[in-house]
Amino acid sequence: MKILKLAFIGGAMGLTAFSASAETFRWASNTDPQTMDPHAVNSAPVLSFLNNIYEGLVRRNQGMSIEGSLAQSWEPLSDDNGWRFNLREGVTFQDGSLFNSEDVMFSYERASSEAADVRSWFAPVKEVRVVDDYTIDFVTNAPNPLFPDSIANFMILDKGWAEANGAELPARDAENFATMNVNGTGPFTVTSRDPGIKTVLTPNAGWWGAAEHNVSEAIFTPIGNAATGLAALLSGEIDFIQPIPLQDVTQVEGRNGFKVLEGEETRVIMFGFGHEHEELLYSSDVTGANPFQDVRVRQAAAHAIDIASIDRVLFRGKIDGASQLVPAGISGYSEANSTRPAYDPERAKALLTEAGYPNGFSFGLKCPNDRYINDEALCRAAASMFAAVGLNAELSTGPVRDYWPQLREDAFDMYLLGWSPGTFDMEHPIRFLLSTPNSEKKLGSWNFGGYSNQRVDTLLPSIQQEIDPEKRQAMVDEVVAITQAEAAYIPLYTQPLIWAAKDNIDLTQRADNFFMLRWVTVN
Amino acid sequence: MVYFIVKRMIQSVFVMLAVAFLAFSLFRFVGDPITQMTGVETSVVDQERLREELGLNDPFVSQFIRFTGDMLQGDFGYSYRTRQPVADMITERVPATLELGVVALIISLLVGVPAGVYTALKPRGIWTQTILMTTLVGVSVPTFVIGIMLIFLFGVQLGWLPTFGRGGTVQIGNWESSLFTFSGWRALLLPAITLGVYQLTLTMRLVRAEMMEVMRSDYIRFAMARGVPMRKLHYKHAMVNTMVPVITIIGLQFGGVIAFSIVTESVFQWPGMGLLFLESIRFVDIPVMGVYLVVIAFFFVLVNLVVDLLYVAIDPRLRLRELE
Repeated sequence: MKILKLAFIGGAMGLTAFSASAETFRWASNTDPQTMDPHAVNSAPVLSFLNNIYEGLVRRNQGMSIEGSLAQSWEPLSDDNGWRFNLREGVTFQDGSLFNSEDVMFSYERASSEAADVRSWFAPVKEVRVVDDYTIDFVTNAPNPLFPDSIANFMILDKGWAEANGAELPARDAENFATMNVNGTGPFTVTSRDPGIKTVLTPNAGWWGAAEHNVSEAIFTPIGNAATGLAALLSGEIDFIQPIPLQDVTQVEGRNGFKVLEGEETRVIMFGFGHEHEELLYSSDVTGANPFQDVRVRQAAAHAIDIASIDRVLFRGKIDGASQLVPAGISGYSEANSTRPAYDPERAKALLTEAGYPNGFSFGLKCPNDRYINDEALCRAAASMFAAVGLNAELSTGPVRDYWPQLREDAFDMYLLGWSPGTFDMEHPIRFLLSTPNSEKKLGSWNFGGYSNQRVDTLLPSIQQEIDPEKRQAMVDEVVAITQAEAAYIPLYTQPLIWAAKDNIDLTQRADNFFMLRWVTVN
Repeated sequence: MVYFIVKRMIQSVFVMLAVAFLAFSLFRFVGDPITQMTGVETSVVDQERLREELGLNDPFVSQFIRFTGDMLQGDFGYSYRTRQPVADMITERVPATLELGVVALIISLLVGVPAGVYTALKPRGIWTQTILMTTLVGVSVPTFVIGIMLIFLFGVQLGWLPTFGRGGTVQIGNWESSLFTFSGWRALLLPAITLGVYQLTLTMRLVRAEMMEVMRSDYIRFAMARGVPMRKLHYKHAMVNTMVPVITIIGLQFGGVIAFSIVTESVFQWPGMGLLFLESIRFVDIPVMGVYLVVIAFFFVLVNLVVDLLYVAIDPRLRLRELE
């Protein structure tokens, strides 16, 4: 049956003259998308994969800026807070049914339901109003200039299809029709899926856009073991793999016919402190006090880190030091505060002496060992740099599945964290990492150390609502300046992005680590 | 006989219960499924609600009772990771693991038995020494290293065999088999060798030791004196007697081959139960981990039972004892 279906679609594809040559493209990644339901899981592997099949009102282009997708244009509402989206006409879903504002309304209700994991995107939304078949208003509680950016991954389902197949809500416990089947408006559709083993995609002949790719069939295989993935590429069985480990870069570069694609992710790696903790938990020499509550101690820790050495030894010169919680190029990045604390062990020692710890002290440093590139090695290197100024870090590392629960339970003195701003704006880390934790207002949910600054808390809503870019930037600059002066975190560097492909493959490496089939050319 | 089987089956239920209990008491240390199921932007309130819905806040004992109760009623639950029914996920992966295990076993017997006989009959030959040395490497090098070495030699350097996956498969009822296509066999070869190496070495050494023992026994010496042809002596009288204990041990080891195919499956991205189990650990997919371990326990019990029955079938003395 599977084969028959494939043959049929293959035949259909042959009729629609897409590109000069028809090409099969095989690629691998380390994680299989858990579901085909775009509202069930808010994770990069799922959203990246489904962006090939489903589409949002807006989408990100190769340079990460927002452009129209199912919405042709959008403008702020004149009489209310929020946005009006003017939808594209004549778009059909892969099953042939017509796309209109009812589908957007339905998808909004579905994606903001309790069963959806993506519902936090709609926290600012007060109401959604269908104006006509191709106009829809998203009314927000307060002015929200960033709203269109924040829903780039909000994908639209066909109302009729979902209702006919009992997939009105995302599957929470048991699977439903949308877990395994798709019906999007996007450039590709799924022709067969074997979860964890193989997924086959073919171009959507009825796509409204002009295809830039020349792929006639794309086969995705998840390969969990990095060495196996590399072997699969080098043996020619796959055309492209994301990501490859840093230590394999020279292997790939050294071979004819392969290339390494390097870029920078938007993820900033940083150390965080237990600001709220009254005493150190893992210290052998300090009891009843938490030296990290003293800003001078936090600054000393920042001055102890030698990013240039970390770059040279651990990252083969592929990283840039970070001064704040987002990398340059992200909207809201504070140019005015773009210098990071200098590597200055003498100054660090002086600061420690000033704070009353001339001989330093010991503390516990928690790190994951399977979450970020070289995370464990980084922490080892940092621990020895800390030790050089008298900060004796007791390092403990573990897998990420156990790491977040430990941080939630406050089991750390200092910890490692990487943060990629989901909205590609500085507001995102301010909301999640710098706001005083408040579960009711959904603020500071990843601010494990409980950093709290009243001025930052007051500025956040104004930043979220300010429409004038200059005024907004001034407020963001103030937040960055405050948190730098207080050494709320120690931003370290931007994580590199390393993919590998055969020489004859052209593709786009986007900074959010999403891989889009519609930009693939097989030469 | 029937009594014997029924007794074993009842025992197996207790074994599986014990395994499930041990597994469940360990799951708490694997990590938090909720943080693996939800995205970074999911609020703490929503996480807590999900935790409550899945019953993860319940005490350990009631979670365990619910799990075993559901299982006894045939409800294996749904995966936290993919939301698919666990029973389907595991049964879909059984053929890949079983075919890999059986082919690995056959390779180990086809190579191990003749090699064992040869090294027993010519204990001082240069080939014997070579074989013994080589297989020593086979036991002492970890499986994943052997796998990676084979992949880089035959897959990357020579380009003869695929480096991952099952190749072409054929659907026979519910059974997805790779034994009926050429590409399926090509894909099966390297993982089967990797998985079979340890078993091969064990078989060879066992056959060698047994064979040398048998060759020293009185009836062989007597047959030699009578002038029975050497060929008949070696392959009829000596070898058959060697095989009885060998079959027992190899049979018992087969359960281990199935259970420990995890490493091989991971290295070759072989879509069997072991790979599923590894993915489940990464995502703290408790329902899948629980059912997998219980299924593996069942395999062990089943293999032991079959070996016991084989023993009765082969050895007439055991049947006599049963009758008395």
